Amino acid sequence: MSRSTSTSFFSPRRVLIIAQSTVTQLVRMKIFYFLAPVALLFLGLQFFDAIWFEGPEALMPEQELRMHKNICLGTMMLFTSLFAIVATALLIPGDIEDRTLYTILCKPVPRLDYLVGKLFGVIAVLFIAMLVMDVLLVTTLHFRTEDKILQTTEYMTKIGYPEREIAAGRADIAAHGPTMILQFGVISHFLKACVIAAVALLISTFSTSTLFTIATSVMIWIIGSFQSIARDGLFNDATFGEAPGWADKIVGTLISLIFPDFQLFESISDAAARAEDVLYGDMAQLAGLSAVYIGIYVVLSWFVFSDKEF
Amino acid sequence: MSEAAAVEVKNLVKDFKGPFRGKKVRAVKDVSLTIAPGEVYGLIGPNGSGKSTTMKAVLGLVAPTSGTCAIFGKNSTKVDSRSEVGFLPENPYFYKHLTAAETVRFYGRLCGMRGRVLKDRIEEMLELVGLQDARDRRLKGFSKGMLQRIGLAQALVQDPRLVVLDEPTAGVDPTGSREIRDLILTLKNRGITVFLCSHLLEQVQEICDRVGIIHQGVLVNEGRLGDLISLEDKTELILQNASPDLMEQIRTLIEVTHGTDLVSEGRARTTLETLFLKETQAKPSGESKVVKVRKSRKRVSK
Repeated sequence: MSRSTSTSFFSPRRVLIIAQSTVTQLVRMKIFYFLAPVALLFLGLQFFDAIWFEGPEALMPEQELRMHKNICLGTMMLFTSLFAIVATALLIPGDIEDRTLYTILCKPVPRLDYLVGKLFGVIAVLFIAMLVMDVLLVTTLHFRTEDKILQTTEYMTKIGYPEREIAAGRADIAAHGPTMILQFGVISHFLKACVIAAVALLISTFSTSTLFTIATSVMIWIIGSFQSIARDGLFNDATFGEAPGWADKIVGTLISLIFPDFQLFESISDAAARAEDVLYGDMAQLAGLSAVYIGIYVVLSWFVFSDKEF
Repeated sequence: MSEAAAVEVKNLVKDFKGPFRGKKVRAVKDVSLTIAPGEVYGLIGPNGSGKSTTMKAVLGLVAPTSGTCAIFGKNSTKVDSRSEVGFLPENPYFYKHLTAAETVRFYGRLCGMRGRVLKDRIEEMLELVGLQDARDRRLKGFSKGMLQRIGLAQALVQDPRLVVLDEPTAGVDPTGSREIRDLILTLKNRGITVFLCSHLLEQVQEICDRVGIIHQGVLVNEGRLGDLISLEDKTELILQNASPDLMEQIRTLIEVTHGTDLVSEGRARTTLETLFLKETQAKPSGESKVVKVRKSRKRVSK
């Protein structure tokens, strides 16, 4: 039964085995329990009705739905990003500390397969979690939108609006319901979480503890979320009446090269919440950019991990 | 073409960097050793002597600073070399969320096994290490001895030609230790090469064909066990049911033989391990024995 055949440089089958094991590990760690408070929040939002505001402060139905989407998308972003960091940070340092890694790497498993398998495992769990939250969002938003359409139709009919304007009002509200554009917002958060997981993977390859990995990943997440503002300031801002110097430009370039720009993901999500048109081309670009980010972080992780001694 | 050595370490040197660019620490200093296929080789030495580093270099977990390590002719730094190796680390920890059968399955799949072959192999391995009854229990509740046994099962799952064992009986009770030792002997009988690191010298003595002694990173002695431990100018004679007359005759004969001295004489002794195993395995339960002792004490007091 001994195998003397050569081991391939990269094997999708081995990656799948490690990814499956990672999914099992995270599921049995009861990681999906975090979905319970999310579900409660999403359901609780159903009962938060801003109808009692009257007069100039009163919220339009579209605004109310936008608020619903903003809260839900924000919650999804927060949970998936934190989950991506914590799950990834727990896995590799945990395997090293427990010496489970010894037994895996002493089998014919290239280190790249191990890294990619772990990352895919986390991404698979992120996908499941995002899918559950998305179903919850779409369901709650659907009922809320239907409710708003009904209320608005009744109100406009009572006041005596013509049928054409009532239909236009209903269409405006429906545009803020569960549409494909909203799905783009959800996808952008999923892609963002995948990039964050890849960042955490890179950090965990040279980190000595789970805590360090989590703290550093959170820091990069924050810097990445604000890097476009910093970059704009360094490149373009003439607050003090001076053009940015070469040092500012170098710092700005370095920041944009090292840290992923998470503002791009947020822009899509914000547009989705506002029910603005998001082009398929923009989404494809974002997906491509995410793949590039993930690819770069995986290659860097592999460089660090391939020479790591245990 | 002659068969390649199971393990070949040539002039292995391993330096570890000190913290904050401090002084380098040389853990292994020019170690060379060869293990023939089918041999049981024991590497012994005190803590920090370089045993585990040598073992890790053989397994490709650390890269040699200089020198080479090869398994069946394949460089240890290459992944290919590991298809022929099973490794049991000291105090192994596996994924606690997996059951015994799932653990063996996971490692089998990593080695490219699948389908009926893997299924049969899982059962075979669990039977070999005596964990059939615990096949569906998660490793979270396993004792140290059980973890060690599941470690052996995963190490052997792909039927490797070389098994590397780092302190295989560390923290295991004497019964478990004996079982693991018997398993190693079974491997030896199957022709599997075993590379063993241990502090338990008695155990190494019982099962190893050849032994290397490493101290402060240097392989200070190496050879066949019999050659290393035999005292050339001393002879041991163990007799069973020897009468006092026969003993007297032997003593007289020694006295009259020029240049021969009787160094020591006494009753042959068993080992504490053998005694422990005899006492714990022969009696139906420890409790009944305690009762007997108490009863006899009562009788004495009366």
